[in-house]
Amino acid sequence: MAETKKYWKGIEELQDSDLVKNLQENEFASEISNEEFLGDKESLDSSNTSRRDFLKYVGFSTAAATLAACETPVIQSIPYVVAPEEIIPGIANYYASSYFDGADYASILVKTREGRPIKIENNKMAGINGGANARIHASVLNLYDATRSRFPLVNGERKSWNKFDAAVTADLESAAASGKQIVLLTSTVISPSFKAIVAEYQAKYENFKHVSYDMFSYSGKLDAYEASTGKRAFPTYKLQNASAIVSFDADFLGDWIGQNVSGDYAVRRKPGKNMSRHIQFESNLSLTGSNADQRHKLKPSQVGMALVALHNEIASAKGATTLSNAKASAEIKAAAKDLIKAGKNGLVVSGHNSADIETLVIAINKLLGNDGNVVDYDTRTYLRQGNDKDMAQLITDMNGGKVGALLMDNINPVYRFANDGKFEAGMKKVACTLSFTEKSDETASKAKYICAKHNYLESWGDAMPADGHYSLQQPVISPLFNTRQTEDCLLNWLGKGESYNDYVAANWNNNILNGGSWNKTLHDGVFASTTSMVEEVITDVVEEISSTINLDMNMAAEKAAARLTKSKSSDFEVLFYQKAGMGASVLANNPWLLELPDPVTRLSWDNYVTMSAADAISMELMNRNLANGALNGSMVTLKANGQELNAPVLIQPGQAAGTIGLAIGYGREGAGKAADKVGVNAFTLMNGSHSAGITISKAEGEHEFASFQMAHTMMGRKIVNEVSLDTYLNKPAKSETGKGWNQPTVFETFKGPLGAEETNLWDDFDHETGHMWNMSIDLNLCNGCGACVISCHSENNVPVVGKEEIRKNRNMHWLRIDRYYSSDMTEEVAEAEGYEGIGIMPGSKGVTDMFAEMEKASGSPEVVFQPVMCQHCNHAPCETVCPVAATTHSSEGLNQMTYNRCIGTRYCANNCPYKVRRFNWFEYHNKPDRFGVNYAMNDDIGKMVLNPDVTVRTRGVMEKCSFCIQKIQLGKLDAKKKGQMIKDGQVQTACQTACDTGAITFGDVNDKDSAVFKLKSDDRMYHLLEDVGTQPSVFYQTKVRNRA
Amino acid sequence: MVYTMKNRFNRRLPQAILSILLVLSTFFVSAQDIEGDVAKGKSIFNSKCAACHKLNKPSVGPALAGVTERRTREWLQKWIRNNIEFRASGDADAIAIFEEFKGSLMTPFPGLSDEDIDNVLAYTAAEPAVPKVETPDGIPVPEPDNTMVLLILGGILFFLVFLLTRVKNTLKAVKGDPTSSIAEDADRITRTALKNPKITTLLTILIAIVFLQQTYLGLMEIGLKQDYQPDQPIKFSHKLHAGENQIDCNYCHYGARKGKHSNIPSASVCMNCHMNVSEGPKYGETEIAKIYDAVGWDAEKAAYIEDYEVKPIKWIRIHNLPDLAYFNHSQHVTAGQVACQTCHGPVEEMEEVSQYSPLTMGWCINCHRETKVQVESNEYYPQMHEKLKEKFGDDAEITVEMIGGLECGKCHY
Repeated sequence: MAETKKYWKGIEELQDSDLVKNLQENEFASEISNEEFLGDKESLDSSNTSRRDFLKYVGFSTAAATLAACETPVIQSIPYVVAPEEIIPGIANYYASSYFDGADYASILVKTREGRPIKIENNKMAGINGGANARIHASVLNLYDATRSRFPLVNGERKSWNKFDAAVTADLESAAASGKQIVLLTSTVISPSFKAIVAEYQAKYENFKHVSYDMFSYSGKLDAYEASTGKRAFPTYKLQNASAIVSFDADFLGDWIGQNVSGDYAVRRKPGKNMSRHIQFESNLSLTGSNADQRHKLKPSQVGMALVALHNEIASAKGATTLSNAKASAEIKAAAKDLIKAGKNGLVVSGHNSADIETLVIAINKLLGNDGNVVDYDTRTYLRQGNDKDMAQLITDMNGGKVGALLMDNINPVYRFANDGKFEAGMKKVACTLSFTEKSDETASKAKYICAKHNYLESWGDAMPADGHYSLQQPVISPLFNTRQTEDCLLNWLGKGESYNDYVAANWNNNILNGGSWNKTLHDGVFASTTSMVEEVITDVVEEISSTINLDMNMAAEKAAARLTKSKSSDFEVLFYQKAGMGASVLANNPWLLELPDPVTRLSWDNYVTMSAADAISMELMNRNLANGALNGSMVTLKANGQELNAPVLIQPGQAAGTIGLAIGYGREGAGKAADKVGVNAFTLMNGSHSAGITISKAEGEHEFASFQMAHTMMGRKIVNEVSLDTYLNKPAKSETGKGWNQPTVFETFKGPLGAEETNLWDDFDHETGHMWNMSIDLNLCNGCGACVISCHSENNVPVVGKEEIRKNRNMHWLRIDRYYSSDMTEEVAEAEGYEGIGIMPGSKGVTDMFAEMEKASGSPEVVFQPVMCQHCNHAPCETVCPVAATTHSSEGLNQMTYNRCIGTRYCANNCPYKVRRFNWFEYHNKPDRFGVNYAMNDDIGKMVLNPDVTVRTRGVMEKCSFCIQKIQLGKLDAKKKGQMIKDGQVQTACQTACDTGAITFGDVNDKDSAVFKLKSDDRMYHLLEDVGTQPSVFYQTKVRNRA
Repeated sequence: MVYTMKNRFNRRLPQAILSILLVLSTFFVSAQDIEGDVAKGKSIFNSKCAACHKLNKPSVGPALAGVTERRTREWLQKWIRNNIEFRASGDADAIAIFEEFKGSLMTPFPGLSDEDIDNVLAYTAAEPAVPKVETPDGIPVPEPDNTMVLLILGGILFFLVFLLTRVKNTLKAVKGDPTSSIAEDADRITRTALKNPKITTLLTILIAIVFLQQTYLGLMEIGLKQDYQPDQPIKFSHKLHAGENQIDCNYCHYGARKGKHSNIPSASVCMNCHMNVSEGPKYGETEIAKIYDAVGWDAEKAAYIEDYEVKPIKWIRIHNLPDLAYFNHSQHVTAGQVACQTCHGPVEEMEEVSQYSPLTMGWCINCHRETKVQVESNEYYPQMHEKLKEKFGDDAEITVEMIGGLECGKCHY
């Protein structure tokens, strides 16, 4: 019984059917057939353009265009009118400075060319945090972000600084007069001079309050230290003394409490009898967990119980009082055994923001007696000072109308408190809201005053990251915009004419330097003092603070344990974490960082829910690769703390069942073109705690990921050579029987058995004369942090291609850090389980099944990182296939790439066994429409960050790691100019300088005293894919794992 | 080259005459009460006095032309030798002149002999009669011009052809054959030749070769800017500065020794000298005034104008390498000890600078093939040199090519 329904295509069809009919009929223009056209002799004859004419016009216009193109443009060269003394065009100047953004701190060197900062380097003179992480290395790009706030705004209107100052001071006075609070809300402040200004404000306004808050808070942890040591500060950790480290969810190699411990950690990761053992208990697979010798999965809610159990194990072994009620698992018992063995060299750390958990950690550390050895309570760090209670009080006060003026510096509370919106509601009740900001971000856009401030590279400043450690920050460029630094504003509103530069200098000369030289400190960037200024100022308090733990730890631990054992475990728990590229979202709008793949998941441009495979299967969630390799993932709806959020799912090997991970810092608005709308805002679900119970349900749709790596296991090949410490110490690397743990490849040839180095099809190059550059990468020291990748981007003008291109495997990274998971299947397992034959017959399993299973990552994998750049093969497969000799071999062992010679056949990339060659599918510069998110190459201001010594590659050419040839050439030139031999270490590649663990060593192997020469003859040395016979100039040091 | 030489010759003739005048004028001056050698005086004046004194207008100190008419020789001797002592002795004139110039302290010159001072004074007395033109250092011999010779040879050739035709026609006339004119002969020969397939083939090949060669050369010229000589915003003469005044290239282009760029000097470097030299020999004050305009120098008050917004000088860049080629000046100037002139030509003879070298890759490569490396004198090389000797023999001269100077990555990255 079919119905004769009529469907209209639109309301127009119903109203005026004639018009629509007309349009329908003329939808396709009718063509005139060739016969009809050519057959009409009359009209053909009357048409003016004959074939000859046509050819003439074409010929003329082509010739004219060609001639016009040949005309050389007039290029002007404009010298300085008054040349600055310190600038010699073409020579870089380095200035020592400091970076602190409220979360990350490092003492740095800023490389400037002709007055433009272009790169950040580590400051080796620093006593603390001399190694900058990936974010700090990338921070130079944020200076040139054209979307920065360029001038002060009052109620959205542009004002002059004079009018702005007048309006703000009037508001402050009226707030003071009304008796309401004047609040300065900041992220952690470590600047002594800033604190001095705050003190002056406190003196001036009776009702002035300074509230510190950390976006990713460690307030609860700080509370525990306040209770036990009397001071709200963390101790410093000396991981170079730690022989056993047990970490509970603490990602201390990634993002933790601010102190950079990776360099010290690496000291004890060198294989040998002193190598430390690192055991990680965690739910998310973190960077630190990936580096652990042993990693155990643990739900966040079980951390407390595990700590109680660990405490009891150690306490009972040491004859101390045990806590009630906890059963120790086998893993905890093993960990306890290692810690007891290590004694005062043992260390327990946690990553949670919970006073109870931290109290237990302090108690265990006390039991171990590691005071002053591994945990130094005398030298405390001040890199996290946020106080959740103060913040909660402030929000209450704001909503209660008790706050008259709110000045916010370096903090984005509206974004942070997206969970309940109370902060935003409170802001509306404050008459004077002001944000010192570089961006018109979530908070600033809702404030009355936007006080456009300098970038840190334009500002003066100082820092006291830890007791006795001071550093200075100096401007390295004139302000790009009409901005002013926070401290100058604050001084101005105090009615002081002084500049902050003078203020810092005076403060230092009076209080810190103690007779030391200001100029020398400014030159070095750091100053170490035995007497702490802060302690001098508050001597009376210091008297009470003993460096040892004076609280009855047993009492506190017992109370904490009692609370923790009551805590309930949910079906699903989320642990919030920070990503290497994003951190607390301070530098959000940075295309280098957004495209930096997460070290573990290898995804960029996103945050997502990490989930174990078992959970994903039970919830029918999946990840699938499209035909071109791009990764898609299911979506889920998350509910926690009364809020809802949709996010994509990534199946993560090593994720504890019943837990998910979610990174903060994404889902921004107003951060800038690159960062806005990337990922989801995890703060929506997050209260103060780093973990929460959560419910998950499948949602509609699929999400598109930008994945850098498709294969996740090594499938039984020797890509990363790994060995246990026991084997390394007791068994030979190379043995006659061929069973050594680092057995070199041997080929059976007509000359007899030959090693890969001797088996040649071609004549060797002469590598005895002059230099022979080699690089060693120690897989034990590399922790995969990604600082080298960013350093390489910055040094070599590596383009950012954006999410869509990465999905097509067109990333341009010259240096990648491959991450491999172990598989449950190995050749030994296959043999044990009786796999036979090739295994295509049903019912039996064979070698094909073995390899298929090897592709699957284990549910509890061991993880290895391997930085791979061009291996500079001495028998390079790429060189032999280039039809135009655009890639050639140098006498110094480099595989050179000549862009202007390359015609883009891509044979070389196809022939490269390491897949390190990158093809410029597009021109990634000067294309603001398509690649505009990468302002480093598509914006006039952004382009100032480019390294003038390295060509910006154009479309259609191949590029790859050059071993920083510009730095090699510069090093040689310097030596020649001085008339001396090159010293070992004089030439360092960009990745090497960025690596604070010393994993990368570069040098001349013809110099027999060089570090790299010694490493080349190390037992652990092996070449990647040695059996291909490429004879690379890069070699790796076998990974050694200190398994129990 | 021919052009400039001629030019110089033309300009130097009046200079010669003037120099004779100068000698004559010296004679007149020496007739006054101060005797001295004007030429020697000038050189002393330029090295010791010119920083603060000009002849015809006040600078840091008073104008010195005709100073001998204002002061006595003895007074001047005392003042110049040690004006501080002289003033301390209470001479009223001395104190007055000191105060007139706002207490600018004049350097004492106790080292000058009486004769030296006399020479300087003679120069100050003589100078006004002498127009500001440098004395020639000898009249150059013009290069022989061979246009005339070629014309004469051409004429002779034409005459011979004409003569031979006449002879042929006369002989034919005698023989009774019909005569023909030159044009008719040429026409006939061409026609016969063109009918011969061998000759046409040869001609075609020849024309094709010439055409292709010209096309190739034409294409190779694209982007080449040899002899590029743009008009510069200031008519700066390297001939005057580097040639006649013998200023070292590195004084202004100080970056060449140290860094990648041989920088165009900033106007502040110009001012080191031009604070005192406000007139040039050729363009007078007009060109130098452009520097003053850039930096904000008030020539009248001899002081910088306060809060002046400086105006950068927009020079036209002559030597442009493409961005894909990395070139470092210090590599060549300091490490390689290559003279500036090797690439830039005789700049000290150029009134206006032009691009001397083609700056093509072939040109670079050729130099790298031929240039010897300073292996002996530089401590960077010994180990490498030992190895190179093994490879190329003990006596081999090590060229840049042998140490990898032709590898792509040396210049392209």
